[in-house]
Amino acid sequence: MWRAEVDGLRLRFHLAGINDQNFLMRDEETGSYWQQITGAAISGPLAGRRLTLVASDELTFATWKAEEPHGTVLRELAADIPLYSKKDWDVRMLKAPTVIAYPESGLSPRELMVGLHGFGASRAFPYDGLLKEKIIEDHLGAEPILLVLGQDGHSVRAFRRRIPGVAAIADFYRVLAGQSASAAALLMDSATGSEWSFQGCAVSGKSNGVCLERVESIKDYWFDWRHFNPATTVYRTHSAR
Amino acid sequence: MKATAFGRRFLLYVLPCLLASFFFLVYPVYVIRPFRAQGVRELAVALAVARYRAPFMVALAAAVFAALIWYWRRERRWLRRIASAAAPLAVVAMALASRVNIYELMFHPLGPPAFMAAGQSKLAGDEMVIAIHVSTVARAYPIRNISYYHVVNDLVDGVPIVATY
Repeated sequence: MWRAEVDGLRLRFHLAGINDQNFLMRDEETGSYWQQITGAAISGPLAGRRLTLVASDELTFATWKAEEPHGTVLRELAADIPLYSKKDWDVRMLKAPTVIAYPESGLSPRELMVGLHGFGASRAFPYDGLLKEKIIEDHLGAEPILLVLGQDGHSVRAFRRRIPGVAAIADFYRVLAGQSASAAALLMDSATGSEWSFQGCAVSGKSNGVCLERVESIKDYWFDWRHFNPATTVYRTHSAR
Repeated sequence: MKATAFGRRFLLYVLPCLLASFFFLVYPVYVIRPFRAQGVRELAVALAVARYRAPFMVALAAAVFAALIWYWRRERRWLRRIASAAAPLAVVAMALASRVNIYELMFHPLGPPAFMAAGQSKLAGDEMVIAIHVSTVARAYPIRNISYYHVVNDLVDGVPIVATY
């Protein structure tokens, strides 16, 4: 999700090609070509410029609707419904060939990863591992971070593990369903004993009302993430190391 | 039919124009196609060809038309005149074809997006969406839908955004 303007010039984009299985866009205003995954212009008058990332989440509709009951959702076009991806499109895509692979990584090219980029580093977390662990404490560069699986078992968010106003870096634990008085409580931290929601905001305890800072993440296939983030590291569970 | 001297000269002039037009049309399509790795340099060349070819193709079409006029002034046989007209028609056809965005033929673009209240949507709860919150506005873009369009241009509380998948 990108902010579609550069130096105050609004850009309107069109699908324009593909580069190593990641698509290219072309803006109407200058004719520049942009790489979708990086938001970087690779050809044209704006070559070298980058779009600004707009914070976004990949969530289940139910989770999003519960958090944003007054939000709006893109309407389907009746004529286009037969063209939309089928319900099992993500399963089918696992079998699609790739032209790039990184076999030395030990990861399948289409292994789904949660990729984070920030604090001078890139790091990828196998999505299947996150589904099992449900909560991962790790570092992005030198920054302590936290990845959390939502109550829906599909949505993922990442946060900086620094509680505003608290010097110590907190450890977070998952709260079991039904254990808390607050239905929104998903986590508890070791520094203040507060309970935290999937939105990264404390819903009880000393930090009640305080929110953790989000770290942007993206779900991507390993080959694509690795190709456009060549310096990435990969999170491995202790058993996989 | 035996070729005349001016006929041979016409062909010698027109053939390179046809080949150049063909190159301008086909090279970007050849390089930038799915399920093929694109080298950095060849991609840069292909994109440059795509960006700058229009005036060259117009010039080639003009050159071939000029050659056709020159040839017709000398050639009286109608069958050869008709056959020779294929050359500029082919160059014009290639120039027009180069204006077609084949990717948007495969995945036609979404016009101005329309939205509905979350409570009115019949989307299943487990459908995945890309969600944003800009200022006071929250929007969701169902992945199964935008993965067809690949690109959705939108304006969210005055902020221009492009949703991509």
